[in-house]
Amino acid sequence: MSLESGSLQNLREMAGAELSVKSRLGYVALLLLSAAMSTVVLSLWLTEPTLAVRTQWAFGALTVIGLSWVALSVWVLGSRRTLFARDRVIAGSMAVGFTALFVVGAAVAAVLSGSRAAFGALATGIVMLGIAIGALLSARRRYAELAARRAALEESLRNMSAAELSARRTKLQDGLRGIPRDSP
Amino acid sequence: MSTSQPQADPRTDQLLAIRCQLGERGAFDALIARWHAPLWRYLRRMTDTEDATADLMQDTWLRVLRGIHSLRDPERLRPWLFGIARRVAMDRLRSAYSRRTDDEAVLEEISAPDSDAALEADLASLEGHMETLPVRERETLALFYLRELTIDEMAALLGVPPGTVKSRLFRARELLRQKFQQAGATI
Repeated sequence: MSLESGSLQNLREMAGAELSVKSRLGYVALLLLSAAMSTVVLSLWLTEPTLAVRTQWAFGALTVIGLSWVALSVWVLGSRRTLFARDRVIAGSMAVGFTALFVVGAAVAAVLSGSRAAFGALATGIVMLGIAIGALLSARRRYAELAARRAALEESLRNMSAAELSARRTKLQDGLRGIPRDSP
Repeated sequence: MSTSQPQADPRTDQLLAIRCQLGERGAFDALIARWHAPLWRYLRRMTDTEDATADLMQDTWLRVLRGIHSLRDPERLRPWLFGIARRVAMDRLRSAYSRRTDDEAVLEEISAPDSDAALEADLASLEGHMETLPVRERETLALFYLRELTIDEMAALLGVPPGTVKSRLFRARELLRQKFQQAGATI
């Protein structure tokens, strides 16, 4: 096998790993979970008035850990496992579903406990839900736009192929007409 | 010299780019199958060994896979691909410069003909002559004749005015002509 064809084989394997949908959506899930965890911990930390110093340190550490996971996911999704139009629609749907669940949970907790932390989480959850809906709508718009362009191009290429075939047929017929009937 | 790529309808590439942006796995395979050989030949002319070419190819395709979602004009897929390949090669050259203080020595090393006996035997061929040209001229000829890019596409890719592309092309042809004359052949 030449180095060129070996390189082609390597590239196909690399592309398989690079384009793994599971890996992309895994990072989307990580982003959502770490954002939710950070929101809950931060709400508790900021709203509970009588926390021991050690507990406050623990909440601080948990918030930093959560936000680090958020930052990592955003970086990976922005530069390493970039989302294509179809992935963005799936990721947007995941985000809307997850944040809606989070909002419902926070609302139930707020009603039942009446705690400031639950209301804080609810408010943040509503903001996150709004962002998720916006992202989903934008992803759907982008997908529809690209799908329409693909359909138009496919149609145009099909028409061209048909036109080419027709032109060839005409040329062949013209050529046949030029041949005398009694020729061998 | 063989032409390196079929001149298909540009809409075919546009369609391929859009399918990639949509996230169709099969489109990426088709993209690699279609553009691997032309990019390989382009990068091969900018490197000394096939190992180095394979290395650059890997970097180039990584950037392509990670960046194609943000390609604004899918109809410009071809210059975009070669632009990435060129940047990857230039980045490699820059890091070679930073490793060694004697820039000119590195340039000569990169653009000098391979002294390998098999390549010496190929000096009569056009490709052999092209490899003896300086990197800039070699790249200009490769883009124009082998990749069949237009002057405007090359200007956009290289980041220089079309006039500069024309003058580089003129100089590259002259150099190539001299090489053939020195070898006792004509083009």
